[in-house]
Amino acid sequence: MASPRLTIAIFLAKSASMASRIMGNKGETISGRILLALEPEAISLLARKKQVILISGTNGKTSTTRAIAAIVRQLGAVTTSGSGSNLSWGAAHALMSKAAYAVLEIDELHLPTVIAQTDPAVVLLLNLTRDQLHRMHEVKRVSDRWHVECTEASNTVFVADIDDPFINYAVANATNVVRVSFGGRPHPDGAVCPRCGSYLKWKSGNYSCTCGLTNKISDRKFKKGSAAMRNAILANVVGEVLDAKPMKFKESELERTISKAFGDKTAHFRLTKNPASWTEALQADIKKDVILVLNARQVDGIDTSWLWDLSFAPLKGKRIIVCGERGLDIAYRLHVEGIESTVVDTFDQAIVLTKNKEVSVLSAYTAFFELVM
Amino acid sequence: MLEIIRIHNELLGTYGDRGNADVLKFRAGLRGIKAKVTDISYIDALPKEGDIYLLGGAEDAAQMLSLTALKKGMTLNKAADKGAVLLAICAGFQIVGSSYVTRDEQVAGLGLLDVSTNPGDKRLVGDIAIESEFFDVPLTGFENHSGVTTLGTDVMPFGTVLSGNGNGINGVDGAISGNVFGTYLHGPILARNPEFADLLLERAMGIQIPHVTDEIADHYAKWRRTVIK
Repeated sequence: MASPRLTIAIFLAKSASMASRIMGNKGETISGRILLALEPEAISLLARKKQVILISGTNGKTSTTRAIAAIVRQLGAVTTSGSGSNLSWGAAHALMSKAAYAVLEIDELHLPTVIAQTDPAVVLLLNLTRDQLHRMHEVKRVSDRWHVECTEASNTVFVADIDDPFINYAVANATNVVRVSFGGRPHPDGAVCPRCGSYLKWKSGNYSCTCGLTNKISDRKFKKGSAAMRNAILANVVGEVLDAKPMKFKESELERTISKAFGDKTAHFRLTKNPASWTEALQADIKKDVILVLNARQVDGIDTSWLWDLSFAPLKGKRIIVCGERGLDIAYRLHVEGIESTVVDTFDQAIVLTKNKEVSVLSAYTAFFELVM
Repeated sequence: MLEIIRIHNELLGTYGDRGNADVLKFRAGLRGIKAKVTDISYIDALPKEGDIYLLGGAEDAAQMLSLTALKKGMTLNKAADKGAVLLAICAGFQIVGSSYVTRDEQVAGLGLLDVSTNPGDKRLVGDIAIESEFFDVPLTGFENHSGVTTLGTDVMPFGTVLSGNGNGINGVDGAISGNVFGTYLHGPILARNPEFADLLLERAMGIQIPHVTDEIADHYAKWRRTVIK
C-alpha cells in the first residue's frame, strides 16, 4: 500500500497534469514537480513496485528509449518518458503509472541520483561527448560521477557501449556489466584516458591504455554501423537481459528525423545539438536545399564555440539557408570554411527561399521541438 | 608563408578554440598573405620556426599532459623569446603562467607570463565582454573555468572586464607581455573579434597590414557585442 502522503501527492500531481493539458501543455513537468515537492521520496517509493530500465548518454536517448519501450512491451505494460522529458520530474511523472515496467530516459547529470533512487534492473549507457558545456562543464566530470554510482549499484545490470572510453570507465568497477563493442570508432573528446589521465593510444578507432582500459575486450561484439544501428542493437541487448525477444528496427526509427510538409515542400528535420550529432548528420544523405537552424538557449548549450570543431565540408555546393537566434554564428563559421549561406530570421522565411521540393533541415534542440512537435 | 601552429588541439580543444587558427589563416588570405595551419599533436615535436602559436582550453588531465610535453625542449619558450606571437586561452593561459594549482598540487608552468592561478570557489560560466587598450571596441567571448588568475608585476592585464568575470579577481581579464597574450575568452575569440585576429597578424608580420572589409565578420562581431548583457 502506498503511504497516504504519496497517495495525496499523486492525486494532486495528476490533477495538475490534467489542468495543464487542458491549457495545451504536455503536463509532465508540472505534475512531476508537484509530486516531488509534496513527497520528495516519490521516485524511490514508486520505483519499488516496478522493473526500472534507465537510458542515458549524450546522443540517442530519446529514440533508444522508444525502441526499448517497444521491446519491453512484449513482457508487460510499460510507462515511459515523454519525448525529451528526462529530468527528475519527468521520471517522477512517468512512475505514477501502474505499469509493471518503467523505461526512462535520464539526463546525464541526473542519472546518478535516479539510479540511487530507483535501484534499476538495467541501465543502458550509450555515449558521452561534449554537450551543453555551460552546464556539464567537462565530459570527464560527468563520467566521474557515473563511475561512482555504477560502482555502488550492485543490483543493476549495466549495458555499456565501451567503444566510448568514458562509458568504459564509468562501468569499470561495476558489479554486473554487459560490455558491448562495435569494433571501435574515433571519439571526438577521447585523447586522454578518463581512468588514469594518460595519453590514450588509438588505432583504427580502437583504444588501449597502459592502465588496462581498452575496448578490445568485450562481452558482445557487433559489426560497425551508424549511431542509429548501434542503438537498435544496444536496445535489443537490454531486451535480452530482461528475456524479451529481439525486435527489428528500421534505421530511420532510431534517428531523430521527422518529415513534415510546408506547403508544397517536404522538410526532413534532423536533430543536431552538439559536435557528435552534427558529424553524424553531415555524413548522412543531405538534399540540395539545406536549412540550418541554430538557437542557444539552455538546452541547446548557450555557448556556440563548438561549431568550430566540426567540418561542414559535406555542405559545399548546396543551397544553404541559415536561421534561428544564433544563425549568424553558424553563417560566419561556414564563411571561414569557404561555404556561403543566406541568413534569415525565421524558419518560415527560410523555407520560402528553398527551390526544390525536398529540403533537409538540421536543427538545434529547441527549434526542433518548436517546428515539428 | 605565415606559419600558424595549433598546439595539441586533441588535448586543448574542449571549448572550440580550434577556430582561432582558421580565422587567422582566413583573414591573412583576405589580404593575399599566404598562411598555413600546422596541427601539432601531443606526440609531435613542436616546430621552432612558427610565426603564431595557439593554445586552447582543456580539461585538467589534458592540460597536464600538454604542459608536460611543452616542457620537453622548451621550444615554445625559445620561440616566444625570439618574438613569436602566442595566444593562449583558458587552460592554455594557465599553462604559460608561472604556476597553477590542480586538485592535488601546485604545478610550475612555462613561465612565459608572470601570472599564477589558483582554484576558485565557483565555476565562472557565461558571456563575457572586456575592454582592451588595443581596440576601439569591446571584445566579446564566452568563459567557462574555475581558475582565479593573479597577475605579477611583469605583465599587464589584457583587458578590463565589462561583464562576466575574466581572471576572477581585480576586474581584469588575461595578461600580456610582448607578443604573448593570455585570456579566458572562448568563442572562439578571434572569430568573435576580427580586430584581435588582425592585431596578431600584424604582430607576427612586424608590419602594418592593409585594412580589409569582410562584411559578415564585421556584422557578426558587432551583433555579438549588442547581445552581451
